[in-house]
Amino acid sequence: MAVVSREARVSRAPAVKLSLNRIMLWVVGLGVTALVVWRIAGTAALGLYGPDVWLMQTLNGLVQGSMYALVALGYTMVYGILLMINFAHGEIFMIGAMSGYFVLNGFHQSGFLASNPVPALLITFIVGMGVPPIVGVLLERIAYRPLRRAPRLVPLICAIGASFFLQQAVRLLFGIRTKVYPTVAVLSGSWTITVGEREMRIQHMSVLIIVITIVLMVALYLLVRKTKIGKAMRAVAEDKEAAALMGIDVDQVIMVTFAIGAILAGAAGVMWGLWYKQVIHTVGFIPGIKAFTAAVLGGIGNIPGAMLGGLFLGFVEAIAPTALDISTQLKDVISFGLLVIVLIFRPSGILGEVLTGKKA
Amino acid sequence: MALLEIDNIHTYYGNIHALKGVTISVDKGEIVTLVGANGAGKSTTLNTICGILKPRHGEIRLNGESLNTLKPHEIVAKGISQAPEGRRIFSRLTVMENLEMGAYTRSDRNGIAQDLERVFSIFPRLKERARQVGGTLSGGEQQMLAIARALMARPRVLLLDEPSMGLAPILVQEIFSIIREINQQGTTILLVEQNVNMALQIAQRGYVLETGRVVLQGSAKELRENPEVRAVYLGETRH
Amino acid sequence: MKKWFVTLLVSALVLALLPVWAFAAPPAQIPEDKIEGKIYTLEPRETLSLVAAREFGNVLAFPAIVYFNNFAARKNPQLTLITDPNAVKQGDVILIPTADLVKAYLAGERIGPAKGDAPPDDPWGVVTVGPGEPVRIGFAAALSGAGVDVLGIDEKRGAELAVVDRPTLAGHPVELVVEDDLCSGEGGTAVANKFVADPTIVAVVGNMCSSSSIPASDIYERAGYTMVSPSSTAVAFTARGLRSANRVCWSDAIQGPAAAKFVYEKLGLRKVATIHDGSPYGEGLVNAFAEAFKAMGGEVVAQEAVSVGDTDMRPVLTKIGVNKPELIYFGGFVAEGAFLASQRADVGMENVIFMGADGIKAEDFIKSAGAAAEGVYASAADLATAGPGVNAFLAKYEATYGEKPPAPFHLHAYDAVNVIMDAIYHSAVQGPDGTLWIGREALNRAVRATTGYQGLSGVITCQPNGDCGTGTVAMSKVVNGQWVPAE
Repeated sequence: MAVVSREARVSRAPAVKLSLNRIMLWVVGLGVTALVVWRIAGTAALGLYGPDVWLMQTLNGLVQGSMYALVALGYTMVYGILLMINFAHGEIFMIGAMSGYFVLNGFHQSGFLASNPVPALLITFIVGMGVPPIVGVLLERIAYRPLRRAPRLVPLICAIGASFFLQQAVRLLFGIRTKVYPTVAVLSGSWTITVGEREMRIQHMSVLIIVITIVLMVALYLLVRKTKIGKAMRAVAEDKEAAALMGIDVDQVIMVTFAIGAILAGAAGVMWGLWYKQVIHTVGFIPGIKAFTAAVLGGIGNIPGAMLGGLFLGFVEAIAPTALDISTQLKDVISFGLLVIVLIFRPSGILGEVLTGKKA
Repeated sequence: MALLEIDNIHTYYGNIHALKGVTISVDKGEIVTLVGANGAGKSTTLNTICGILKPRHGEIRLNGESLNTLKPHEIVAKGISQAPEGRRIFSRLTVMENLEMGAYTRSDRNGIAQDLERVFSIFPRLKERARQVGGTLSGGEQQMLAIARALMARPRVLLLDEPSMGLAPILVQEIFSIIREINQQGTTILLVEQNVNMALQIAQRGYVLETGRVVLQGSAKELRENPEVRAVYLGETRH
Repeated sequence: MKKWFVTLLVSALVLALLPVWAFAAPPAQIPEDKIEGKIYTLEPRETLSLVAAREFGNVLAFPAIVYFNNFAARKNPQLTLITDPNAVKQGDVILIPTADLVKAYLAGERIGPAKGDAPPDDPWGVVTVGPGEPVRIGFAAALSGAGVDVLGIDEKRGAELAVVDRPTLAGHPVELVVEDDLCSGEGGTAVANKFVADPTIVAVVGNMCSSSSIPASDIYERAGYTMVSPSSTAVAFTARGLRSANRVCWSDAIQGPAAAKFVYEKLGLRKVATIHDGSPYGEGLVNAFAEAFKAMGGEVVAQEAVSVGDTDMRPVLTKIGVNKPELIYFGGFVAEGAFLASQRADVGMENVIFMGADGIKAEDFIKSAGAAAEGVYASAADLATAGPGVNAFLAKYEATYGEKPPAPFHLHAYDAVNVIMDAIYHSAVQGPDGTLWIGREALNRAVRATTGYQGLSGVITCQPNGDCGTGTVAMSKVVNGQWVPAE
């Protein structure tokens, strides 16, 4: 029923309610946007960076954004269905990265990785995507389900606690030292292309990450749109009680939602390990926060929104320091500033209102 | 043995004693109506039957089998489905998807296809709008969708909660004639209505609920003629 | 029968313990007036180790020579003050102490404490350590937190081993009071407030990170506590005229320019880019490096920064790559350093040399960066000038903790404890019953007076600002997966 009232509130909120507060926010937002445009124009006028730099940064951003997007999907799906921020989702991602490490490192040491790289990678992905849903489902069963009727802050706090628990558990079990993914020879090559007069290198791995992400996103889209369980997920997200009256096992659907989110996060975790090499028990914290930001940016609860938000956030993080010609240290400031600006203009996220518009 | 037996159930909302020993039985092929004022416990009774609320005492049986320990989705699988109060259709799902959700517990493709044909023949307007999202339907269409969705479960007992609420009089007429049609095709119906007049016209039997208790019961005809009912629910002044 | 047995057991125990009580009295300290030995003038090419080997049959005895010589030199102008035991020269006049004194020194005894009947006057207050009570020394480092807890645990072990080696001080047991400061400003101040609220804490070994040391030092300064940091290398730590702040590591004002000189002169490079991780350490270090490099005539083509926890360095590398630097100088720690080093190749910068400092010179860096670690340079403490006994220490470390030191500052932590203990000997007053009165200001002066102390990390001589590490910086390079000296 909460879902119904939320929908009603969102759809009734007029986009052009011009309170003074709102006007001021718009002025601030437009001012910052103007500043950003001016700054970008200035950088472009300098002519310091050639097309190769822009292309490279775009690629960097898309790879990073792909991983954000996959993690963001888990946040957004759980939020959509339970109106709860699963803050432990970053740790689910970490568990994916860790599981992948143990498998791949084992294959590396036994020589299987060198002799059969493709099956080794496949098994790594299967395990890396297989362990997180087990943890995710257990987490839901043990930590969140008993609190489903509690006030909304309670499961939120519980999620934060779960996040610490998982982090420290992994730390105790596997130690505090950084784990390093072995280098996979078949993935470490690159193509060199000429852009303008400069040469540019495209890593095979970066293309693979983008391709895997697209495949997973399409699979998720089909699952949610076309399959019975996907439709049930959408039904439960909208109205749990009505869904139960249709014979949908709501608990089961929620479990499946956690599992799917965890599978995607696990895939992102393995790719994270392959791409950045170092993983540690705290590796999920920052990607978790960023992915949550991406989910809000895209409109939390909205699946295409999370995909778009993740890619967008990664892209901005990579390209903004160059475009604005400022220190890379400020990229987090930029990305969170972007979140604020987006929320000024579109309070329910990039795709948040599109949905309501279609509905109304 | 009645098809659906509600045997002396007591249901609580927290500490509020909402149903104080309600006993109702519905025979196969009947339309039974539950009438009563707001807060009398009509919807609470339906929600207890569906398993959303659990009775503290008493038992609900379908064909003699107790439903007390079953979860809502298991009760649907047993053959009780509900078109809930306020319609509660899935506004973001298409009409077609809403109907598929109605048939969620079923896996007989042919049977589902047949039932789809059947609800489309009952509600031709839904067929026109099959690809539209539920949220874009008018109130009357949404009510039709809610009933159609509940029918897709091919229920042995169909629970209808306030199907006429918020509809224009002409639509109310239409809905009630459809309910009668569904019943004539063989579906047993338990109907909760505030529009007592209409309800007693299509029902065979009825129960009158007041503050969680059945205060009157009988055939529709008896109830229509009962002076109490006439005074309180049919708006006639006492002679 | 049973009762009889218990009685026997108890009496046996008492009897067994009796000798321990009897001998538990404080061992004789070295009184000031008992410093004896012979005056000797060094021959050409004669080193202190050679003298120690000849006189005492033990090269490791040379710190004792320095210790007694420097003590005597304060009163005897004929003697040469040894500020660097590795830089003595022909004609230096030194005191060679007696074999007994050397033996006492190696057993952990020091000159002092002075005898007295009453607590001394001290403007900063006096710590009274009653008979049998422990001398309590605070220790603050990050013992939790990703990537820093390794450093903190390593320092804690160094400090613990110092206490294992010298368990008593003038007849009192030494106790290390360990606190976790999380390598943060808040953590540092919280621990400092806790320590200054405890009047039995004599001095503090810490903090580990400059981020905690700098705010903590203000609290210690007000309370009159002396801190000796094993690893806060940020320039600002000792640049604020505080008496409380001391460190046994070098300052980045030494490390940065040393690295710049190496890049300019040894590597012959002229165009560099710098990246720091936003920590006071990283930022201070690259600023010192960049200033020195520019002063030499080099060009710093890009100055960038990342954040601790960043993983994707390709954007920042792509950005600075436009300026075609020949070398990237990085101020920060292992994780970010390894990301930078290994992602160079992804943006076509594998031929740009990568150089870091003590923050990345760890085994974990090579493990994390993999093949990309090859050819990476890092400045760090020069182990060639590190003191004798390092090998014995490392063996003990490994035997005690089951692994090799995972981080670079265990030796400095060991030395910091020893510097404080020596300073207590030199500044405290001991009553007839063994009570130790430690004047806080006297202790502070004694720490600052440390001269030519041969620690495990090198020679420790305190400057007036509290910089006590001599700062011999050596360059290392990764060759075949190992850190080796780069020359």
